[in-house]
Amino acid sequence: MSKFADIQIDRGIVKRAALGDVRAHEIIYRAFSTPVYSICLRFTKAPAHAEDLVQETFIEVMRSIAQFRGEAALGSWIRRIAVTKSLMFLRSAWTKRGQSLADDWDDMTAGEPVSHGISSHPDDAMDLDAALASLPDVSRAVVWLHDVEGFTHKEIAGLMGKTESFSKSQLSRAYLRLRPMLSVNHVAQPDGAAVGSY
Amino acid sequence: MNSDKQDSDKKDNRMICALTADEMTALQKGLRELADTMPPRDVWYKIREQAEAEGLLTHPQARRQMKWVAGVGLAAAALIAVVMMPGIQTGVGPASSVVPQDPLSNTTDLSNLRALQVQSRQLESDLRALPAEPRVARASTVATMSEIEDRIAAIDYQLNDSVAAWADGDREIFWRERVRLMKLLLQLRYAQAQRAAY
Repeated sequence: MSKFADIQIDRGIVKRAALGDVRAHEIIYRAFSTPVYSICLRFTKAPAHAEDLVQETFIEVMRSIAQFRGEAALGSWIRRIAVTKSLMFLRSAWTKRGQSLADDWDDMTAGEPVSHGISSHPDDAMDLDAALASLPDVSRAVVWLHDVEGFTHKEIAGLMGKTESFSKSQLSRAYLRLRPMLSVNHVAQPDGAAVGSY
Repeated sequence: MNSDKQDSDKKDNRMICALTADEMTALQKGLRELADTMPPRDVWYKIREQAEAEGLLTHPQARRQMKWVAGVGLAAAALIAVVMMPGIQTGVGPASSVVPQDPLSNTTDLSNLRALQVQSRQLESDLRALPAEPRVARASTVATMSEIEDRIAAIDYQLNDSVAAWADGDREIFWRERVRLMKLLLQLRYAQAQRAAY
């Protein structure tokens, strides 16, 4: 599950933050700034843009925390704001290029990602990081939302203003691209067969 | 998040991609273990600056000052009422009676605060009693501990701010959060020490 879910904040601090207490807001920022920055960086790939999005996210938190009723976890609420801001950024970046937040696979050259298995070896993590970064923006966002943050295709479709099929198709194409990463340690299955086929 | 929806999503994924269940699990595990990145230190100051410009934050000093001004206003109104109303000039009436602060609740607040401070000191001493951190440790554990230490440092900074005035109960909230984070840190360090022992 997402790292946001592991972070707990005392209710008293949330209440103080709702009153605009700067100290309470700093505590919330210190707790959530790393996962928020990480998600923004995954989406944008550019530290300067990610910093701007972190700023926008926490300003939105300050504006809206008085309306936060605590029905969901604070982390889930902040994550949704960060995701929405990041997707808005992607959308605006694409709009500037005269395209919609749509299928951007056509822009990609068919590069082969580095082939290594996922293991505890640091190089493998770096390779996976690089392979993820090599995906088109929208697919990378779909992979992250689905596989790391635990969003369903329906939720992703809702966030992106697209259909569920769009989300599934993006994920499927991303998996094909990332698949060589799994070849070393995990390709040999006991039954030797893939569960499904594309 | 609904588990039925996630199960249905998993089924969909198997239908649409060529990954085996093990490959998908490995990929998702690898993605979730990718290291988080901390935002640069100055991001908080930018957020704070913008929030102050938009009037989203209140400062404890400002609150205290507002309370003081409001208090003077109320006292002046009460004095005028005493002077203006003949029945009250006798000295027997609401204006002459001073409502005492509830000594019990104050004592309780104070004892809570002291209990939290003692607990915090005890946790620090427990932390010191653990063996030194191993030279080789999991990157994710180190990152999590570093984040928690950062949050504790932020709370300490707030608690040690000699200029800031504290409203009743605020200090307790911050101490409670400090104790919670210290417990978390102790659990992680304890687990780390146990792993290192084997």
